[in-house]
Amino acid sequence: MRYSPRPAGPIVTRATFTFLLAAIVWSAVSGCSSLPESQRSDLRDPFENGNRKVFAFNMGFDTYVIEPVADAYRNGVPEGGQRAIGNHVKWAGMPSTAINSALQGKAENAGLATLNFLVNGLTLGFVDLVEDDTPIIKEDFGQTLAAANVPEGSFLMVPFLGPKTTRSFAGTIGDMVMDPIGTLARGGNLQTVNQLRTPVAVVDFRARTFDAFNDVKYNAIDPYSRVRSVYYQTRAGMLEDRVRSTIGASESNDEFDDFFEDES
Amino acid sequence: MPVSSAVKLCRMASMLMLFTSLVIVALPAGADNHSKAAEAHIEAMIGSAKALLTTDSDDLAARTEQVTDLLDTYFDFPGITRFSAGQYWRAASVTEKQEYELVIREVIIGTVVRNFDQLKGLEYSHVASTEKGSKLVLVTGRFSDAMGERPSVLVNWRVTTLPGKPVKVLDIEIENISMLVTQKQENVAIIRKNKGKFGALITAMRKKLAS
Repeated sequence: MRYSPRPAGPIVTRATFTFLLAAIVWSAVSGCSSLPESQRSDLRDPFENGNRKVFAFNMGFDTYVIEPVADAYRNGVPEGGQRAIGNHVKWAGMPSTAINSALQGKAENAGLATLNFLVNGLTLGFVDLVEDDTPIIKEDFGQTLAAANVPEGSFLMVPFLGPKTTRSFAGTIGDMVMDPIGTLARGGNLQTVNQLRTPVAVVDFRARTFDAFNDVKYNAIDPYSRVRSVYYQTRAGMLEDRVRSTIGASESNDEFDDFFEDES
Repeated sequence: MPVSSAVKLCRMASMLMLFTSLVIVALPAGADNHSKAAEAHIEAMIGSAKALLTTDSDDLAARTEQVTDLLDTYFDFPGITRFSAGQYWRAASVTEKQEYELVIREVIIGTVVRNFDQLKGLEYSHVASTEKGSKLVLVTGRFSDAMGERPSVLVNWRVTTLPGKPVKVLDIEIENISMLVTQKQENVAIIRKNKGKFGALITAMRKKLAS
């Protein structure tokens, strides 16, 4: 890490703060008219009318900016380069996982995330030097809030950030504030790398899920409600710590139990 | 206690022990059969899909026909139809049910045909099976990229093992996302947005298929 004589700035940069404020204000304005339950397509979504407008904006932004960039990225960047960037994005999320695992009392996961962050920090995470197959379960502040029994709240479609719940959105803000990389990387080249982290992560995610994302975007009958459903199921999996390497089934088990009870 | 009563008691105790041991032996055997049948069904389906992939061409009509055959053989379309309509299935008229059955079938086949290419180069391996009552088995497997370019993906197949009916796949869950639950929640959202009109869903589906 290069020493920078530049004075230390605030932990949350002005740009990040402005962005967050804009997102909150937009979400609040768009969602101020709560729909009665009978008019909601999902009971968890009282701000559906506003959320759908934000979703349309996000999809427009995706069409004109993210999708072409992600397409160029997946076709233009060699496989090794994409893997390195994916590794870096994953590595950059390790402090959040370590902190939130510790807050939730998951000591082993916190230890693994810390170790991964320290070892792979030698390459800024671009090369995965840890040859341990033990999965590190991603934890964020939204999950910490859930573990503390904070209610999930309403569904929100946030500009640029996409689907959230009130709780997970609060968690995202918490993670940004607590982010140690943001604090450590103030000043110098590391700050530039850090500022590029979010857009790079977005493009990396969009490129990795390119076909599945486009199938929902262009072929779903109602892409908004499909995205909402996928979000809730993914989030449920995260809250139950179900990851790639573990066996388990989603919350939808209950729906299948009900289905067979009705059938009999 | 008279000797005859003691003998009777002994006989009854022996019968009870025999019956209990039979039940203990029979229960897991039945459950195991369900799991085995579900696993065999998935293995057979993967085999058929692999065979289809090796002969697959860019001919969309041919692929659609082959995928339709595959889905008809291995998937529980009547169950998928009812589940995906949610609570609105019961209230739908006979005509609406018939129309919906045709249109959801077309939607599902279209989805599989569009994404069938993504199975190319993937190897499937069985991971585990979990009984979910007597009617459902969750078969877990993993798709791995033979070239190692894509991360491996964990898949849960929900396989129905209903008495007197053939074993069929009801749902696929990929990385915690159930395809059937997603379809159902989307369908229910469309019906609710249209004040509970089941016909609105059929119209929306037809419109999408025509576009």
